Amino acid sequence: MPQLGAGIGLRARHFAQFLGAQPAAGWVEVHSENFFGAGGRERHVLEHVRRNLPVSLHGVGLGLGSAQGYSNEHAARLRELVERVEPAFVSEHLCWGATAGRHYNDLLPLPCTQEALALVAGRVGQLQDLLGRRILVENISVYLEPGPGDMSEGEFLAALVRRSGCGLLLDVNNLYVNEVNLGRDALTQMRALDPESVEEIHLAGFFEGEHCLIDTHGATVADPVWRLYEAALERFGPVPTLIEWDTDVPALEVLLAEAAKAQSCMDARHALAA
Amino acid sequence: MPSLLELQREFAAAVLAATPDATRLSVYRDNVFGNWNAALAGAYPIVRKIVGIEFFDALARAYARAHPSTSGDLHEYGAHMARFAEDYPHTQDLPYLPDVARMEWLAHRAHFAADAAPFDFSRPTQVRLAPACALLESRWPLARLWEAHQDGSENTTVDLDAGPDCILIHRLAWRVEVCSLRPGDYLFLERLQAGDALGPALEAAATADAAFVARVALAAWVQTGVITQ
Repeated sequence: MPQLGAGIGLRARHFAQFLGAQPAAGWVEVHSENFFGAGGRERHVLEHVRRNLPVSLHGVGLGLGSAQGYSNEHAARLRELVERVEPAFVSEHLCWGATAGRHYNDLLPLPCTQEALALVAGRVGQLQDLLGRRILVENISVYLEPGPGDMSEGEFLAALVRRSGCGLLLDVNNLYVNEVNLGRDALTQMRALDPESVEEIHLAGFFEGEHCLIDTHGATVADPVWRLYEAALERFGPVPTLIEWDTDVPALEVLLAEAAKAQSCMDARHALAA
Repeated sequence: MPSLLELQREFAAAVLAATPDATRLSVYRDNVFGNWNAALAGAYPIVRKIVGIEFFDALARAYARAHPSTSGDLHEYGAHMARFAEDYPHTQDLPYLPDVARMEWLAHRAHFAADAAPFDFSRPTQVRLAPACALLESRWPLARLWEAHQDGSENTTVDLDAGPDCILIHRLAWRVEVCSLRPGDYLFLERLQAGDALGPALEAAATADAAFVARVALAAWVQTGVITQ
């Protein structure tokens, strides 16, 4: 895998800029579902961008962990998109999103149980077979412990990798949010992971809510998250890192500045290791 | 211990519970309803402008309970807004709202529809309506309502008694546009949409509307990409 460095999300606000001079990002990530349409502007922009930059497809709606099962139609549309875009990465969240036929269109938390592990590992295997490639699975922010667990979040992720052969998209901000919200020590979760299994990292800003930290992707990355990121780079190496920003998306320059900050962390770590 | 399925059903029921509570569950409730609201606001910007942002939030909550989301793709959420607005007790003083919603849903679909292949003049008679086009007939002046609610036209007033409207919703240079059609053009495109061949569609339009000139209409609709093969 070539070193992609730091990337940013490709969001509608910046489409015109991406159609013009190519922004100084190493790669871009999009939410897969935003490009499920058969045609139109989104598809046109993505076709243009993918000729110049590696693209990562990040799914937000499949719901790997929904006990009722995921939609085969949704998976088929993802496959069609993957074939068309030939992305550098395909990722999904470790969450559930639908029950009794109703979709909640949110990333809902799974308990860290053997039952959930078996279910998700099977679904990841199915999806990888359908897509004909490995996928990355991302840890989410949790606001409410969904039930008693048999293992830690880190142990769950490590076991998922062993059972399904998937890679991990480690969201360092989500680890921090869960440390604050649920007392899950972020460094302990990281130490449970095989250093080779983390293939992408997410960084984002959170919102300090009334009851807990909320993963809004609407601010710059917080200082304690940068410190955790340093620890992640030390353990996992210079993994391609994405700055996520989805609410109140700022000017492109702000995103690129955050990405440059992540890049300099990677470069500094690399210089230290050399 | 409850099974994962039971756990998820209980969690979902608690998220949907009508009585708000001040726990962390409310974070999920706010997220879930917030995502649905944002999806509706994205598909129905004109309905939202007409009723106002605060009122729209309440309407979106009621809609979410009446018409559950059935897809993990939020762009598919909101298909039943027109029917919902017909029955929603608090918008009965806006009788044109359901047709505005119909127009907006067709526009939303048009935004994501397949691109049309460039017109092939070697086989000019095999034509059909392009995927990103839709037709709608209403007793309300929909094209003027569309125009008056575009950004920058906030002070335009619309005469609601201007009479019925036959509109074309289509995509031009990636932007969805709406225009009023004369009876002949509407009938022509409607016939093509129904699967009629070019000849009969042109003939029907010319018979119904003396002002319809086949050559002119054909050139215009090919040029704007409204008809394709």
